Amino acid sequence: MLEIRNLHVTTGDTEILRGLSLDVDVGEVHAIMGPNGSGKSTLAQAIAGHEDYVVSEGTITFQGIDLLELAPEERARLGIFLGFQYPVEIPGVNNAYLLKAAMNARRKHDGLPEIDAFEFLKLAKEKMALLGMDPKFLNRGVNEGFSGGEKKRNEILQMAMLEPSLAILDETDSGLDIDALRAVAEGVNAQRDPERAIVLVTHYQRLLDYVEPDRVHVLSEGRIVRSGDKSLALELEEKGYDWLREAANA
Amino acid sequence: MRAVNLPIDALRHAVASLPEDRLAPVRRAALEHLGQHGLPTPHEEDWKYTDLGPAVEIGNEWLAGGAAAPEPAGLPAAAREVLQRIEADWIVIADGRVDSAAVAAFAGDAVQVTLLSESDVPLDFAAPLTDLNSALLRDGLRIGVRRGAVVERPLGLMICDTAESAAGMSQVRIEIELEAGSRAEFIEYHASAGAGRHYANTVVNLRLARDTHASYVRIQDRERAHVQTGQLNVRLGSASAFEHAAFDFGGRLVRNDLNVGVDAAGASATLAGLYLVGQDQHADNHVRVDHRVGPARSRQDYRGILNGKARAVWNGKVIVHAGADGTDADQANHNLLLSKQAEIDAKPELEIYADDVKCSHGTTVGELDAASLYYLRTRGLDEEEARQVLMRAFAQAIVDRTPVGVTREILAEKMAGRLAGLLEGMAP
Repeated sequence: MLEIRNLHVTTGDTEILRGLSLDVDVGEVHAIMGPNGSGKSTLAQAIAGHEDYVVSEGTITFQGIDLLELAPEERARLGIFLGFQYPVEIPGVNNAYLLKAAMNARRKHDGLPEIDAFEFLKLAKEKMALLGMDPKFLNRGVNEGFSGGEKKRNEILQMAMLEPSLAILDETDSGLDIDALRAVAEGVNAQRDPERAIVLVTHYQRLLDYVEPDRVHVLSEGRIVRSGDKSLALELEEKGYDWLREAANA
Repeated sequence: MRAVNLPIDALRHAVASLPEDRLAPVRRAALEHLGQHGLPTPHEEDWKYTDLGPAVEIGNEWLAGGAAAPEPAGLPAAAREVLQRIEADWIVIADGRVDSAAVAAFAGDAVQVTLLSESDVPLDFAAPLTDLNSALLRDGLRIGVRRGAVVERPLGLMICDTAESAAGMSQVRIEIELEAGSRAEFIEYHASAGAGRHYANTVVNLRLARDTHASYVRIQDRERAHVQTGQLNVRLGSASAFEHAAFDFGGRLVRNDLNVGVDAAGASATLAGLYLVGQDQHADNHVRVDHRVGPARSRQDYRGILNGKARAVWNGKVIVHAGADGTDADQANHNLLLSKQAEIDAKPELEIYADDVKCSHGTTVGELDAASLYYLRTRGLDEEEARQVLMRAFAQAIVDRTPVGVTREILAEKMAGRLAGLLEGMAP
């Protein structure tokens, strides 16, 4: 579904990704782990299409389509969703409006009519209940005055409503207390589907206690230095990242 | 002595044609004052960016045409719609004529409404444009909110002018007093009709006694050939709260002066404004807060979106006088410019003569937030749509802060409509 080959990404004057390759197949959950500054968020933003992250070499293809030719909104309409590490607050744009606009943008692309208002509300309330969110959040400004945990739940709500083919969740677990972490993990697990791939970008292994990945990759200095199954995450938890860096440099 | 920029003989004639009532001596004294001081000119610092030339032109034309107020015709459709949709106790002031039947119908215990010609309120005319207002005032309103009264229904002032072909000029004067412990909401709505040129000049004085709460919303949606100058002068008693939002959508040349005097401890003033202007519109907001006693709090948040060759001025002045310790004042002004020819002159001014104060200000002119734009695009909104959503949100934030709840729906519509109009003007 997602194929990344020899990806080099520069931001400002710094090359962050230095020849990264990755394959994610439909139905799989992958975890990308690595120390701070290893390029995890850069990878997420490069897939989503942030213009500050310049691809100088390599390819990203999604369902056979060259993503690098597409604007962020075009990637979104193909079914790629990025859950932000730091979701922005947008006062004056309410959550319901954004959810509806996002869903309709994708539906239009797929040749479907706009979602019915009643259907939308029913679906939103159902998904919010699952995430332990008060329905009142629908009428609030996007992330406006939300706590860290509320913002992350809101990202998962958007994912649940949009039903993407590929979801990339950037440090969705950071800054969450245990209840919020559980709620977010349940939200992610509910999205596990043979038709969908999920990429979890995370520094810590604790989210993986709740969401079991099929594959774990370790990113260091802009490359994937190790891939394995879920036991790799446990090994990292135990030994830290230094041994990998040493192994990579050896 | 400065040159009078309206012919004094014609003015004298216009004043003489008004009723020989209680206001007559004030009119004559105010006219003498106007004769000596004239109208403000761009040579004065406070009027540097706003030239009243078009107002003077219209005034001259009106005086030359006999200085008549048109006979009351039907209300403009725009005004009728607002009267129907906004739940309030409305008094209409059409072409400077107060609807005295509406005044007579106001027989509530909580609110007393009197014609100025039948009240004993002294009319001050020392300030610029206040002399013009007092000299040519046909009649105005005195509104008193009784001690301890909590007025549930907003009081609406519908100020509308119809200038079908001949140039028109009108004066509106409102004197409001809230007695101790009372609470009330006010709407000042400017509507108009006709393609003719008109100059409207409004003076509102609002006095808040101790422990009062006043919400005051001003909405200006005039025809594009209208010139409007308006003053709102507010005096705050101890522990009183004043909440204000002002909206400018229409008009060709608009100048608003909001002067707030913090005269006692514990008072607060929350001031917000939104101007959406395009083509050759000119909107000037001068806000001045005088903190004379502390502790007290004032907030200013003014926002504007400009397109075409529009020009806006925001001048937010805060003066913390000696002894006003514990003052907490903040001023913000944010602008989005959609065209290279649009111009904003934003100037925060802060003068502090007291200790232990907390004052801050920030102004921005520029672009939409890039992170928000990107976030919306990753949700599938195309760039143009994302821009429009953010612009609407930028303006909506002021609509949401409107202290008189019943105006919110109509404001949201007016805002969205005006914004769509501005964006249409962007098409190549």
